[in-house]
This record gives sequence, C-alpha cells and structure tokens, in this order.
Amino acid sequence: MRGVPLHLLLGLGALLTLAGYAHRLGFLPSAVVGVGLGLYGVLALWGLRFGLRHALLLLGLLAPWFPPALFLAPLLFAGLFARNFSEKDQGAFYGWALVWPALALLLVWHVFPTFYAFYLSLFERVNFLRPAAFAGLENYRILLQDPLFWRALGNTFWYVVFTVPTGLLLATFVAILLNTRVAFLGLYRTLFFLPYITALTAAAAVWRWIYHPEFGFLNWLLRTPGLDWLNTPTGVFALLLRPLGIEVQGFWAGPSLAFVAVMAMSVWHFLGYQVVILLAGLQAIPKEYYEAAELDGATFWQRHRLITWPLLSPTTFFLFTLGLIGAFQVFTQVYVLTPTGGVLQDTLTLAFYLYNKGFRDSDFSYASAIAMVTFLIILALTLVQRRVLERRVNYEV
Amino acid sequence: MRFRLSLLGVHLVLLVGGGIMAFPFYWMLATSFKSPQEALQAQPVWVPERIKPANWLKAARLGDSPFFGGLGPGRSVALFFPGPEAPPPRALVPRSPGAFFDPVADGTKVEVARGEGGWRVRLTNTGEAGFRRVPLVVLWPKGAPLEPPLPPDALRSQGEYWRLEWVNAVPGALGYVFHNYLEAWNAAPWGRYFFNSFFTAFTQVAVGLFLAALAAFALARIPFPGKEAVFVLILATMMVPGEVLLIPNYVLLARLGWLDTYYALIVPWLASVFGIFLLRQFYLSLPQDLFDAARIDGAGYLTQLFRIALPLSLPGLVSYGIFTFLGAYNALLWPLIVTQSPEMRTVQLGLQAFVSEAGSDYGALMAASTFVILPVVLGYFVAQRQFIQGIARSGLK
Repeated sequence: MRGVPLHLLLGLGALLTLAGYAHRLGFLPSAVVGVGLGLYGVLALWGLRFGLRHALLLLGLLAPWFPPALFLAPLLFAGLFARNFSEKDQGAFYGWALVWPALALLLVWHVFPTFYAFYLSLFERVNFLRPAAFAGLENYRILLQDPLFWRALGNTFWYVVFTVPTGLLLATFVAILLNTRVAFLGLYRTLFFLPYITALTAAAAVWRWIYHPEFGFLNWLLRTPGLDWLNTPTGVFALLLRPLGIEVQGFWAGPSLAFVAVMAMSVWHFLGYQVVILLAGLQAIPKEYYEAAELDGATFWQRHRLITWPLLSPTTFFLFTLGLIGAFQVFTQVYVLTPTGGVLQDTLTLAFYLYNKGFRDSDFSYASAIAMVTFLIILALTLVQRRVLERRVNYEV
Repeated sequence: MRFRLSLLGVHLVLLVGGGIMAFPFYWMLATSFKSPQEALQAQPVWVPERIKPANWLKAARLGDSPFFGGLGPGRSVALFFPGPEAPPPRALVPRSPGAFFDPVADGTKVEVARGEGGWRVRLTNTGEAGFRRVPLVVLWPKGAPLEPPLPPDALRSQGEYWRLEWVNAVPGALGYVFHNYLEAWNAAPWGRYFFNSFFTAFTQVAVGLFLAALAAFALARIPFPGKEAVFVLILATMMVPGEVLLIPNYVLLARLGWLDTYYALIVPWLASVFGIFLLRQFYLSLPQDLFDAARIDGAGYLTQLFRIALPLSLPGLVSYGIFTFLGAYNALLWPLIVTQSPEMRTVQLGLQAFVSEAGSDYGALMAASTFVILPVVLGYFVAQRQFIQGIARSGLK
C-alpha cells in the first residue's frame, strides 16, 4: 500500500510540539508555529487521497489546545494500521519513531543550547534582572583582553602538559606490569582502580586534608611543616629555579604550587581508568608477537618499544584525546580544594571561570562567550590532533 | 633465579604503587575514627584509639545500651578512676559552647565520690528526656597515676591538673567507635541527600537506557530515510563540550520553572550520545541471521528489539548503566548550579556544603566522605567484573 510519508508527519509533529512549547516559553515567534501547523495540515489533507482513514491524522491540528497531539496522532494512526504498511514504509516509520524520543531530548538539551549559548554571548550582561542590550561581538573583544581568561587558559595548558603525559606513562607502566600474568592481579587492579570510582568531591575533601598546612600528612612525610600547598600562588618553575638564582615571571613561572597539588590529585584519580583501558588494549595484542620477539632475542625494552608501543597507539591516542578534552572541563577538584579559585586566582580553570562569571557574577552572556571560545579551542585542537597525530597511530593489529 | 627476582621486583613495584594509590583511603578511614585531638597532630596517629578492641569493651560498659549507649531519664552511669585519696579530682559537664558542648546534656548531675581504691564520677540524668551523649571534663591531679576508664578524646594540661575531655561519656561500643559517623550523619539531612542522589541516578539510568536502546536499535538495524542525517547530528552533538550547555540549559530550566526540582537534575541528561553509540555498536555486532529468522517468523521491529537485541546486549546495558550511574551520583557542578534549597541537594553537594561548614572537625568530615563513597565502593566489590569490563569497553572502538 502506498500512503502518506508517515515518518515525515511524525517528525514534523514532534518538531512542532517542541516549537509549540518553545513558543510558550518565549523562544520562538508564533509565526513559525503557525507555518508549521499549516504544513502539517496540508500533508494530512494530502493523505486523504490514500483513504479516508487518514482523516485521523487531522487530529494533530488540536495542537493549539494540546501540543503533543501533533505526534500522538501519527503514532495512533500507525498503531492502528501499521500492519498494512509496505516493508519500506514500516522501516521508515519505526526507524523514526524509535529515534525521535532520544532525538527530541538531544535537540532540546544539546543542539538548541549550543546555538542559544552563542546567541546569549552576543548580548550585554544577560541575567534575569533586566532586559539585555545587543552587543555584537563585544564580549569576545573583552574576553581576549581579559587577564583572568588568559590565566585560566594558561592553567589549562599546564594541566594538559603535566597530567596527560604523567598519567599515560604511569598507567602504561602499571598496565604492562599487570599484563605479565602476575599473581593477585585482581587485588592490584582494585587498588589502582578504586580512586576512579570514588566521587571527586569526597576524594578532593580527603586530599585537602592530606594537604593541610599544619596537620596534613604530606607535610609530615616531606618534613615541610607549615607549607600551605593549596594557598601558594608561586609557580613551580619559579620555586625550583629560585635556589639557582634565576627569577622567572608570569606564564613561565609555571603553574602555581596549589595548581600542581590539584593536578597530583587528578592524576591519582584518573590513573585507574587509564590503567583499565590500557590493560584491555594490551590484552588485545596477540601473544605470538612477543613469543617471536623473544625467540629473536629481543630485550624487555625492545619488545615494548617495537611491539607494545605501536600496537597500543590507538588506545593511547584515545586516552590522550580524552585527557585533552577533560582538561578543559576541570572543575570539581578545583572547587573543593580551592573554593575561591586560589590565591590571586592561581588555580582558575576555564570551567571554573565560567562558573564564576555565570553563577557568581550572574553574567550569562560573558560566561557564554567563555563557553563558545572553549568550544572553538577544543574543536580546533581535536582537528589538529586528528591531522597530526592520527597519521602516526597504528590501527591494525 | 633471574626470573624469580624480576617477579619479585614486579610485585614490589605494584605493591608500592598500589599502596600510594590506596593511602588516601586509609587516611580517610583512619581519620574518620579519630578524636579531634588525634586528628590534629603534627605527628600522624596511625591507629586511632577508637578502633582498638580493648576500648570497645570499656565503652560498652558506659551508657544504657552496650551498643548505642545513651542516658535515659533518671538513669545514671559511673566512671571509675583508680587513684590515691588526695588530692581529689574534679568533674563537670562543660557548659561553654565549643566542640565539647551539648545543650541537651545540660540537666546532668555530676558527683565525685571516693570508692574502693579510686574515685567514682557519677553522672545522673535529672531531666525529663533521655539523651544520646553527655560531654564530660575531668580534672585529674598531675601527681596521681592516670588510668581513665575510657581513653579521653582530648588530654590537656591545666595548671595543677590534667584536663581530660570526652565528647561523650555514655557512648556504648558502637557510639564510641562510630562517634564521628553519627556526628556527621546528624549534622545534615543525609537521608534526604542520599534519596535525591539515588533517585536521580536510577531514573537517569533507567530512562536513559530505554531511550538509548530504542534509538540505537533504529540506527543499527532499521533502514529508514534520513538515517545518515540523524547519525551525523548525533555525532555532532558529541563534539560539544558539556560546559557550553551549562548556561543555556540553566536559562531554559529557569524559563520552564524547573530550577530546584528533580526535573532539573534528571531531564537534561536523559538522552546520552555515549549510550546510543555504545548500544549501536552492540547491535551491529549481532548476526543479521538472527533478525532475518525473527522477521520470517513474523516478528516486527519492536519484537526484534525487545526479544532479541535487548537481552543479547546485556553487557552493553550494564556498561552504560555503570557509567551513567557513576556520572550522576558523582556529579557536583550540575546539582550545584540548578538546586538551591537544602532539600534538593545531592550527596556530593551535601558533602561540599559540609566541607565548608565542618571547619576543623576533620574526623566528621572524613566520616562523611566515607559514607558518601561507600555505596559505589560496595557496588564495585559486588560487581567487580562488570565494573572493570564495563569501563574497559568504553575504550574499545
């Protein structure tokens, strides 16, 4: 049986329902909804050509009183008559019907907000207190001259440079050791894995206690009583070079001691995840390669440099990408360890700055501008990384 | 011999590494059993008094119930201090506000009387109501040997006397050991927080799984027009980092009037791109013959999904479920933004509030951290294999 493209009607109905709600909330002009409703009506009327029962579809026009009617009508119609559809029509209808619930949620909570964030960033200080004035790209201009933004970006840079290689190296090392069919594998894996599943908030609270200047365990261990790890804004390079009589300033002073403390905690937290992923990657490498290498007299170091490293590169690449993206979203551990963003905002990260601007200063437009710039940077980095690094990644086993 | 040595080395390295990874957990647990004075030591206390079994027996004798202690109206309890006849010790229930103060215990009568070979401090509840705890201070002359019936929570020097302080002189065994846990639990409505967290997490898992399964099945197994477009759209949403969505979703929730409700905690995260991809991968890996056979037997798409694809993709569902649960239960930033009232706080938010309120009461703080991470850790030990494999699966392409 040939019939109306029911999946189109369903899709249109779902979209229009969303549009109807958007209109009620003041996101959309009523004209859009009107045009959509007209379109739906025309399609439904056209359906009448294929049989009078298609009149059921016209129920959707009750939408002004009951918005969900727009997609409930096609669903009802399909429920009643789907058996008579052709194979192709059934596929089309069920495909869309199954995709729409998730798709609608994605459209509302992921796709629309992405554009709305950009829209918001074009205004001057949007908040709930007063109507906003259009400002064009002014927020972005201010942002590029904002020292705090650059500081947050610099911190993110250091975060990547410090934590990603450290975490990957440590995790690879541990994974290789665990992969030697060592006894008590389960115990060791649990030891390394547990930090990852503990909540960052709780873990950060514990580390804050370990970093405590007077009674913290770390200061006892290192015999550095009174060292206030989380409130020391001096850069670590500056601290290291000072005994040599070299003074470094600004960006090149490196991340502050406080931020390095945050990073150490982060490496601890995420190490288990990396170990588990790398271990899975290692176990996927055929044993024969190692046996052959051993016959040829390859040393431990040669085996891992020539077999493990290249064959593990897709996993490493995946973890590297994840670490890079994760660095732009560091918030929880910073918020718990240094609730104010550190002395002189030295532990400020992009996500934290966004939170400060948006929810402490109630400046939604500026916060949106930060979000958009972050988005662009991540996008650019991902593309560059794809181009430069992925070529070296060996996907064949 | 060489082999043995290298194996020993592997174990040694793994043990040291695992020890470092596990140390924060040990430190958290140890501190959670410490009295304030034990916690605030420059020299770390490795085994707190409260986890020594000998002290449990002592504590069990104090209070109405051997487990939970307490002092009912009209009841009294005697603490026996062996010591010489003169000079006499002094005992009091502290009245000045501070760490060792409890207004409920105000009506307690304290008598010090000479007993056989020592002094008897008798506490009598003269009030109408029973209470859980009675703080006590005993001033003990410095010349006399000190053998308190229960190790004091704090011991200070005060002129001619030792000042012995107990946060609770009628603890019972459990009340003594888990003093910090009880304090932390009673300091905030944790029951409500736990309910909020579990409700949020489980709803997200259940509804999210259902929606993702529907969409993933359509994308993997049903040919329908526009499939590529949907796929690309979903792929594209994956590129958008979460922080871009914070502000616009907050504004959207505000317009909907959903701020500070369960909707705000749950709805924006229901549709998960990660889940859709994961399950789609699973459905693609199932043999086509299975579905063809079902089709010949007259099974529609919905039957195929619920009777074949879903049961066979159980590992994928578990993997997704664990990830979503961890993400929802451990989240701090989103609940922090969209909830204001204490009734809507999740455990992580409650813990974060507790971190800033608890001040220097690190015992209670670590106790709170412990019970916040406990559900996930317990879950890990119950379903260790599923956890590890579920996480490992996220890294495989």
